Order: sequence, then structure tokens, then C-alpha cells
Amino acid sequence: MSAYSFTDHRFDVVVVGAGGSGLRAALGCAAAGLRTACISKVFPTRSHTVAAQGGISASLGNMGQDDWRWHMYDTVKGSDWLGDQDAIEYLVRNAPDAVYELEHWGVPFSRTPEGKIYQRAFGGMTRNFGEAPIQRTCAAADRTGHAMLHTMYGQALSKSVEFFIEYFALDLIMDDGVCRGVSAWKLDDGSLHRFSAQTVVLATGGYGRAYFSCTSAHTCTGDGGGMALRAGLALQDMEFVQFHPTGIYGAGCLITEGARGEGGYLTNSEGERFMERYAPSVKDLAPRDMVSRAMTIEIREGRGVGPNKDHIFLHLDHLDPKVLHERLPGISETAKIFAGVDVTREPIPVLPTVHYNMGGIPTNYHGEVVTLAKGDPDAVIPGLMAVGEAACVSVHGSNRLGSNSLIDLVVFGRAVGLHCGEVLKAGARQPEVNDAWTEPHLSRFDRLRHSSGAVPTAALRLEMQRAAQEDAAVFRTGETLRSGVQRLAAVHAKRKDLKVVDRGMIWNTDLMETLEFENLIGQAIVTVEGALNRQESRGAHAREDFAERDDKTWMKHTLAWFDDASGTVRIDYRPVHSYTMTNDIAYIPPKARVY
Amino acid sequence: MSGFRTGLGRARGLGASKHGVGHFIAERGTGAALLLLSFWLIPFALAAARGGYVAAREMLGSPVNSALAILTLVVGLYHAMMGVRVIVEDYIERRSTKAILLLLNALIGWGAAAMGTVALLKLTFGSGS
Amino acid sequence: MVELTLPKNSKVGKGRHYPAPDGAEKVRRFKVYRWDPEGQGNPVWDTYDVDVSACGPMVLDALLHIKNVMDPTLAFRRSCREGVCGSCAMNIGGRNTLACTHGWEEVSGAEVTISPLPHMPVIKDLIPDLTLFYAQYESIEPWLHTVTPEPQKEWRQSEEDRQKLDGLYECILCACCSTSCPSYWWNQEKYLGPAALLQAKRWLADSRDEATGERLDALEDPFKLYRCHTIMNCAQVCPKGLNPAKAISEIKVMLVDRTI
Repeated sequence: MSAYSFTDHRFDVVVVGAGGSGLRAALGCAAAGLRTACISKVFPTRSHTVAAQGGISASLGNMGQDDWRWHMYDTVKGSDWLGDQDAIEYLVRNAPDAVYELEHWGVPFSRTPEGKIYQRAFGGMTRNFGEAPIQRTCAAADRTGHAMLHTMYGQALSKSVEFFIEYFALDLIMDDGVCRGVSAWKLDDGSLHRFSAQTVVLATGGYGRAYFSCTSAHTCTGDGGGMALRAGLALQDMEFVQFHPTGIYGAGCLITEGARGEGGYLTNSEGERFMERYAPSVKDLAPRDMVSRAMTIEIREGRGVGPNKDHIFLHLDHLDPKVLHERLPGISETAKIFAGVDVTREPIPVLPTVHYNMGGIPTNYHGEVVTLAKGDPDAVIPGLMAVGEAACVSVHGSNRLGSNSLIDLVVFGRAVGLHCGEVLKAGARQPEVNDAWTEPHLSRFDRLRHSSGAVPTAALRLEMQRAAQEDAAVFRTGETLRSGVQRLAAVHAKRKDLKVVDRGMIWNTDLMETLEFENLIGQAIVTVEGALNRQESRGAHAREDFAERDDKTWMKHTLAWFDDASGTVRIDYRPVHSYTMTNDIAYIPPKARVY
Repeated sequence: MSGFRTGLGRARGLGASKHGVGHFIAERGTGAALLLLSFWLIPFALAAARGGYVAAREMLGSPVNSALAILTLVVGLYHAMMGVRVIVEDYIERRSTKAILLLLNALIGWGAAAMGTVALLKLTFGSGS
Repeated sequence: MVELTLPKNSKVGKGRHYPAPDGAEKVRRFKVYRWDPEGQGNPVWDTYDVDVSACGPMVLDALLHIKNVMDPTLAFRRSCREGVCGSCAMNIGGRNTLACTHGWEEVSGAEVTISPLPHMPVIKDLIPDLTLFYAQYESIEPWLHTVTPEPQKEWRQSEEDRQKLDGLYECILCACCSTSCPSYWWNQEKYLGPAALLQAKRWLADSRDEATGERLDALEDPFKLYRCHTIMNCAQVCPKGLNPAKAISEIKVMLVDRTI
């Protein structure tokens, strides 16, 4: 590949991704005195964290008594016991400090009359181990993610993180099982770069765009997961895909769960508040997987609204317009633009929409990537960390609670910064990057750039998205999943016949979308394969042919490896941690998950 | 183009000159003063126009009218100079051209103010013909 | 720099025409600015006859349709598609806005004309170089400055003080405002522009911030701040309905307040 040459950079830490977790990790590393680069394919404030609306959970107790143990119990129960409880304890105990830290950096949280951070109710968040809903989710109106992301970007600038903006990460530089860095393509001048680092942190977000209809941004293509799969690493629990109950019908744009937290409710064609039947104690504030299933059942049984009876109404019209204006201004605007609805008068048409990937790159609660090797289920991959939606710590298990994502970003982003500060020495020697390590990156890049088959990337991507959407939906059966496996295998096979029209190197978005598609397809395949393999129903994974949770056989994390050349998936397992981090709380044993 | 300078280097540029608020206040102050002076100026100008040259000279001989006329002239020219200055700064990039235009602006403005003031004082004190 | 006509190498020629597919139900013509940095030529206007019955209601939907089925080489930025990330800011029908929240039916006239944000260097097609714009944002130090030791919990802030941030913090840095401002067109190397100044105000207005004086010092300059001539284009185009011009005039009032 003499036609290409790399520009080399050397850092202590390279963070890939500049969303909430990437920025938090990067600024933590920089503050620890490490020379830190942050690479992103979009300008940091365009990352998808910006679209998070409702809030960030932490047991501050600003709206009445709260306790991290209650938060822990809710998270464990929300995860349907698939979450690792040591990591969950780490999450909920560090949550308040992480939120105060954000506040000290300037996040414009909404306030209580006493001047404290305002907290709202969210699905699955309860007081006293499941008694009744609690207000635990700290909010900046309904633009919490936006407020956090902009604040953290500013903070990262103040900490002298070196940003490489509009660089598209290509592949991990691996040296015999050790990660040495990452290669990237600079979009604005078409040059190629190699970043070597003592530690690479993948903070690349989820892969929502593997589905046809999702709340995720166009850029949510799971680039870190794709790179990890190509580097021969396993992804964990990929079958668990969260459907958000309230995506706008048609457009798929998100309407925050905070809308229900502020008093909104769902109705079917009979005007019935049907969630009362499915979750008598918490009603519309049940966890997302349950609400999505309930809505799907209502529609299936002919009680959907609209001319085709294919969606549900979300009512906010009974709320005080002042509350809507102060607490939910953003979604009022979104509903107006994308559904043509004035929320003070009419209900919003909504439908469960793909929203979040519980699965990802397996890590421990320091953020180090782990795998199953030589019988050790917690074997660390040296030089590689992952954080945020790209990672699977696993605190969300089989179903994430709303507002636990933003806290995941900052708590584990912070953990990465702390851990790197502890174990890395600034400026420590690194091996020269060997051209042989990056040769496959170049040949893949060049091959895709000169793809001259018959199938445009967009067409093949659409085929993948339709297969995932139809065959790995809210409810799954062996039959649909087998169909999904076959359809995606066909898509994978057609990859040889891809057509890339643009041959340029500068801002070649045709090629970029092809690289993104490559990242997506592997993850789509392990998602359906994992779902077909898991013969039980747990959290977001609802099998109609295996309707019950089966703790005896399936209380374990799925690990899936993907062979890109043959398209085959290998599955193995890691045990769910049946212990907590400290003795301050005992392991919460599984029981029936009813609300 | 700016070559290899960093974006932040370009954005910071030469830094803040820590002035400008005076100009801003003066612009608004002179504007408000002119508005007030117009309450005198408009009836005066109408009367002067009706009365013809001799009447106008006579009116300007009164100390009150003369003082107000000098104020209007000086404040008006100062206001105009500030406006022209901003336009020159907005549209003229070359330093030499800009310097010359700003100098001319000041010379013409202050020159006109000085000459007008002398002329009005002459009318008032009647030392002219 | 003031340039009232396009420089020679930026004059826009006529480009390719992409006809509608057979059997198209409803056709709308999109006239799109194209420039290939790796080619030799000047920019051109390509025209696409889009079957709008096959795409969504927004201009971004039409652009994605063009990219997916008519011409994969068209380059533009996009991400969230719901008006919160600020990626797809461009000039549509003569007005700076977000392609994702602007319906093509809202554009009057026979054609929907789409070009990059005005008066910025173009990298490719609809992608402008925003380096300086971002650096100007960075130069106002968009982070909380405090000297008082941080409390164990949150800084207290009253609901009224928090309300002072409304209309400021919601900015998405799309650059629609700054690139619609003639003053910014002529003097962008020296004038911070409405977006950066709106954010400057956001930190000036924060009751928790303890560097108001230093922030004002850094703004008091005939160019950085006072090039705002209240033309108001910024407030008119802001896709989030914010009013940078008002924020700028409030900064000017703050500067007066510490003088008199």
C-alpha cells in the first residue's frame, strides 16, 4: 500500500469518541497529567449524548429521602438480574459525586425552590426497594444531555485535551493481543494517521443504526464495536436492544421518559390508561422493556390508535402549560416539528423505537476491556479500555433504566480517568508502531474505497436495517430470529459486491458510510445470533417461544466473536458476578420482576 | 489565508483592546443629545427659513440660539464622525487606507466643527460685517 | 474581508442534471452547490429532480434520498436529525437553517436551492470549514470559573437565577447565526460573531461564575464585541429561536454598568 502513508502521533491516552463518556474520560486523563488525545468523527457537541433529554440519575435526595441502596436495587431489578452487582454498586455509590462534579463545572441544572438540583421521576426508579416511584433523575429541563455535553466539552478545553476533530477511526492497532493505538482518516484533507498510546479508550457509542427505525443519530454506527470485532475481541450481551416506548410515530425522534415522569401517560384506542393493567404499582413509570411490550401487545390486540391502529397516544395535554414550558420545552418543540402536534392540546403519536444497546465491549468497572481467555472470564486486554454505550460493564444487564445511561457515562468515564492516572506513567516509553500492524487497515480501506460492484452501500444498509427491525423486534421467536440470521448472512455475503462511487480522500462520505456499514453489519449479526441462542426471556430480550426467565441456564453473559471473512459467529459465556463491590450491601438475589 | 496558525491563535488575535465602551456610550449619548436638540433645531430652522437671511442672522445673534446651534453642530459632527469611523473600520481592510480615511474623517469633522463654531460666535458677537 | 462579488475561483457554474426516476409521483427540483476539492474546476450547481413522495418531509430527508438513490458522492454533515446536534446547518432557499427541521414544502419557488453556510471556506460540497468558528467559541472560555472552594454538594442557585440562563444555554453551535451576519462576513477574523457572544453571555449570566469582570475585560474591544450593529439576522435565522442580538446588547449594557 505504498500509495498511502501515515502521519504518526504519540500520546499517553487516546480516547476515540467525544460524547459524554469520551469527554469525561479524556478530561479525567488530562487532569491526571497524561498527554491525552480525543479523536472524533464529529465535532464533540454533535455527539449523540447531546440528544439525551430526561436526566441523569443519582440518589442526591433533593426531593425527599433517597439512598444509594435503593438506586442499586432498582438498577439490579431493572437489569433483570443480568447486571454485575459489583459494577452496579460502583455506579450508584459514585453517582452523587459525579453529578456534583458536573454541577461544579457549570451544567445548568433545573433547580428546586431551595436552589438545589431538581430531580424528576423516571421509569423503574423507586423508593425503599420498589415501594413507589421516587424523584431521582437530575434534570436540566429536557435538555440534560445537551447541557452536560456542552459543559464537558468546555471543561475538556480547559484541561488541554488535544482534540482531533473529524477524524474517522479505522482500526485498532493490535500487537499480539495488546492494543498499541488506533488508525484514523482525517476527513478534511484526506490524510491517514496513526495514534499510538499506552491506552486506547473506546467511547464510540451504540449501534442503533443497525435498525431501520431508531432514536439514534445517523452517526450511531458502533464504530468501536466494529473495530473490536475485527481485532478478534468478543462483544457481550448484544442481544439486548432497548426499545424506547415513546419514539415519535413515523419520524422516530425521541420523546423523553421524563414526559411520563412529569405526569404524562399512555392511552390506547379506547382511551384506556393501559399501563395500569401491566404495572399496577408504577403504571406509566414501569421500565422501558415492560412499557414497550405492553404497547406492542395493545397494538397487536387491535387497540392501537390512528387509521391503521398501529401506534399509541402519549398525553401531556392535562399538564399545566407552565410545567410543559419549564420542564419539557424541547419535546414540545420536537412534537410540533415532527408530529405537528401542540402538546398542550393533543396527544403525541408514539411507538416503541430502538434506542439503546445494553450490550457492547465487555469491561470491568475500571473500564478495562476484559474477555474470556484460558478459563479466566475476567482476563484484561492490555492497552484497551471502553466506556459508555460502546461498553458493557455490565450495569444495565438486560434492560437499562432511563437516566442510568448518562450516569453510566460520567461515572465510568471518570473511572477510566482515575484508573489511567493510577496505572500509567506520563510519557512512558512505547514501542515504535510496526507497519505490519497497520497494513491490514490500509488494505481494507483501499479495498472499500475502490469497491466497484453493483450494490450501493445505502441499498445494502437498508436491507440490513429492515432485517434487524423485522426479525429482532420487541418480541422475538426462534422463527423470526432464524430468518434474521439468514437475511443478515445474505447481506454479509453481498458485501463483496459493494459499490462506492466517490473515489476521493477528502470528506468522502460515500466511503465513510461504507466503513460505518462494515462496523454495523458485524454487530447486527452477533445481535441476532445472540438472540437466537438465548432461549429465555429476560429484560429487553422477549422470546415468545421461551416466555420465562431461566436463571438456571441463562444467568450468564453472552460473549460473541465474529469472523469477518466467513461471517460466522462463535458464542461463549461469562458468569454474571454474584457478588457486590463491598460488604456495605449484600448480593441481591434474583426474584420475580413485577412492578 | 492564515497558514499554519491554530484556530485559537487566530480567534484570540491581538486580544481585547479594553476600550469601546466609551465609544458606545458616546454614540448613544450624542444620539440622545441630538434628539433633544432637535426640539430646538426644527422650530428654529422653520422660523429661520420663513424669515429669510437677515432674520436668520438676527436669530443666531441671540446667545441662547447661538449656544444651541454650536452644540448641535459639534455634537452632530462628533456623532457623524463616530459613525463614519465604524463604517471605515467595517469595510476597509488595508491599514494605510484605513489610517488615511480615519485621519481625514477626524480632520474634516473637527475642522468643520471649528469653522462652524467660529462663524457662529462671530454672528453672536457681531465682530464681522 | 469585504468582498461584494465572488472571487474568480468561486464563481459557480452549471453542473449535472439528475432526472427523476420513471413513475415518480411528485417531483421537486433541488439545486445543490457542489465543489470537489480534489477536482480542478470551479463549484457548480447540480440539479436533482427528487421524487418527494418517496422521501420524508424535511430537506435533510431529501438530501439523504439524493445521496442514497441518486448520487452517493454528495457530501454534507448530518447526525441527530432532530435539531439538537447542529450538524446539518446550511443555506436553504436563501436562509441559513438546519436541514433536519426545515421542511422542503416550506421553501417557496420552483426549486429548493441549497448551498453551504455563506462566506465560509468550503471544504467540499455543503461542508464549510468551521475551525475559526469553533476557536472563537473556545476563546470565550466556555467553562465555569470559580475561586471560592467548591462545596461538597452543589452550588446553590435560585430558580430565578437559573431562569437567566434560559435562551442562552440551548445554543447548538450550528453557526447559522454567525454566518448570516454581514458584520461577521466582513470581519470574522476580528469579530467574535453572534454564536460565541451568546455563549459569552451564557457564562456572564451564570450566578455561579466568579469571573464576570475578566470575561467583560476580554470582550471590551471595538471588534470582538462592538462589531455587532444590531442587524438582527442572527435572531431571525436561529433554528432554536434564540436571540443572540439581545444577548450581545445585554453584554454592552453590562459594560456600561461597570463604567457609569
